[in-house]
Amino acid sequence: MWMVNLRVTSNARRVALVLAVVLILGVLLLPGQLQSVFQGVGGPLGWLISWPLRAVAGVHDRIAGVWGSYVALQGMEEENRQLKRELELLKEQNGQLRESAAATERLAALLEFKKQALPTLIAAQVIGRDTGNWYKTIILDKGSSDGIQADQGVITPAGVVGRIVKTTASTAVVLLVTDPNNAIAGLIQRTRDEGIVEGTTQGQARLKYIPLLSNARPGDRVVTSGLVEGFPRGLAIGTITRIDKEEEALFQSAELTPEVDPNRVEEVLVIQSAQLPTEKERLSPPRPKP
Amino acid sequence: MKAFIYGVIIVGIVPVQSVVLPHLTLWGVKPDLGIVAVCLIGLISGELDGLLVGVAVGWALSLFSAQDMITGAILKGGLGFVAGLAGRQMVYLSPLVLVSGLLVVSCLVGLVTPLALKLNSQQDLWWAVWNVALPQACLDAVIGGAIYWLMWSQFNIEQLMSESRM
Repeated sequence: MWMVNLRVTSNARRVALVLAVVLILGVLLLPGQLQSVFQGVGGPLGWLISWPLRAVAGVHDRIAGVWGSYVALQGMEEENRQLKRELELLKEQNGQLRESAAATERLAALLEFKKQALPTLIAAQVIGRDTGNWYKTIILDKGSSDGIQADQGVITPAGVVGRIVKTTASTAVVLLVTDPNNAIAGLIQRTRDEGIVEGTTQGQARLKYIPLLSNARPGDRVVTSGLVEGFPRGLAIGTITRIDKEEEALFQSAELTPEVDPNRVEEVLVIQSAQLPTEKERLSPPRPKP
Repeated sequence: MKAFIYGVIIVGIVPVQSVVLPHLTLWGVKPDLGIVAVCLIGLISGELDGLLVGVAVGWALSLFSAQDMITGAILKGGLGFVAGLAGRQMVYLSPLVLVSGLLVVSCLVGLVTPLALKLNSQQDLWWAVWNVALPQACLDAVIGGAIYWLMWSQFNIEQLMSESRM
């Protein structure tokens, strides 16, 4: 038990009170401007903090590496066998897909389809997770100085990871596909029905607004539809595990298992330019052919 | 010296919160060291220090989260200010009172945050209370109590408070 000394300089109290009032007035009267001030001045602070963040992430990776190499090797034999079986299956599928791709290319050339421009990808490493509990995000070791901007899509070779929501000069924050506040335009690959994919509080994803007449079923793959900025068409999002059809509802919805496990992702690719037409380009009359 | 310690807290809290604490979660929820630090600084050093460090910590944490920056800075800054005011009114502060206070304050912040952030309809108030606010408040209270006990065993807190508030 101890006594508190109440001798506080009245100046400090006044300054604190004035600052608190100014801050509250700023939030109430000029929220947008205050946000941009915080974002602008946050650049140097973000740069400063990114150094210890990278250092701690480096130490963490080394410890994880040692753990993964020497301690967590139990059960590897069984996993290896399973992976070999999967590899055989994927080789077979790969052959079929090559055939399909060649056929598609021939048909596209015949129909004079415009070739979709390949996006530029930036490789980045995951160095941290969200600092709070309200959002599911990961922090990347590349930022605005590497050409990363808000709203760019983030993927792995397996599928969609999420979308960039915030950047500093040397880091970027990715809102994961499993976060309920994220929304990505999706397409059921087999039925070609479109919908919106959003995360769930259970760490899965859900495809909403599927037409009632759609015959989507569990096992169907959902890919990006390419209608929203950041993601070109055809990137894997997840596989449908359950269809929810409510009485008198206008749409169906489907539960998805995401293709990428966001808790285990270590390296990602940021889609720098998906070469999607802007709204102005889409609405403008088509150019006459020369 | 005080400014240096505050600087270390502001810069160091982000790596700890985003790299180390995801491994120390309770039902998938990690403690918010920002709340603990700001409350302790407010209580010990007064409302001005609490407010300024709170704004800086909230701002730094929200730079590395999807959370909007104003909400983070205002909530933590307000918390530091209130902690400073509370510290002035207290005649004595036992660890039990501190732990209970942190539990209540962290719960309140956990209730206000989803309203301020305008989260998805899946994340309603009931969900927020049971899945984030309560577990986080428990963790914050335990960690705050442990830090306070460490400080109490290492330093003369009465003297520290008197010097800080002079």
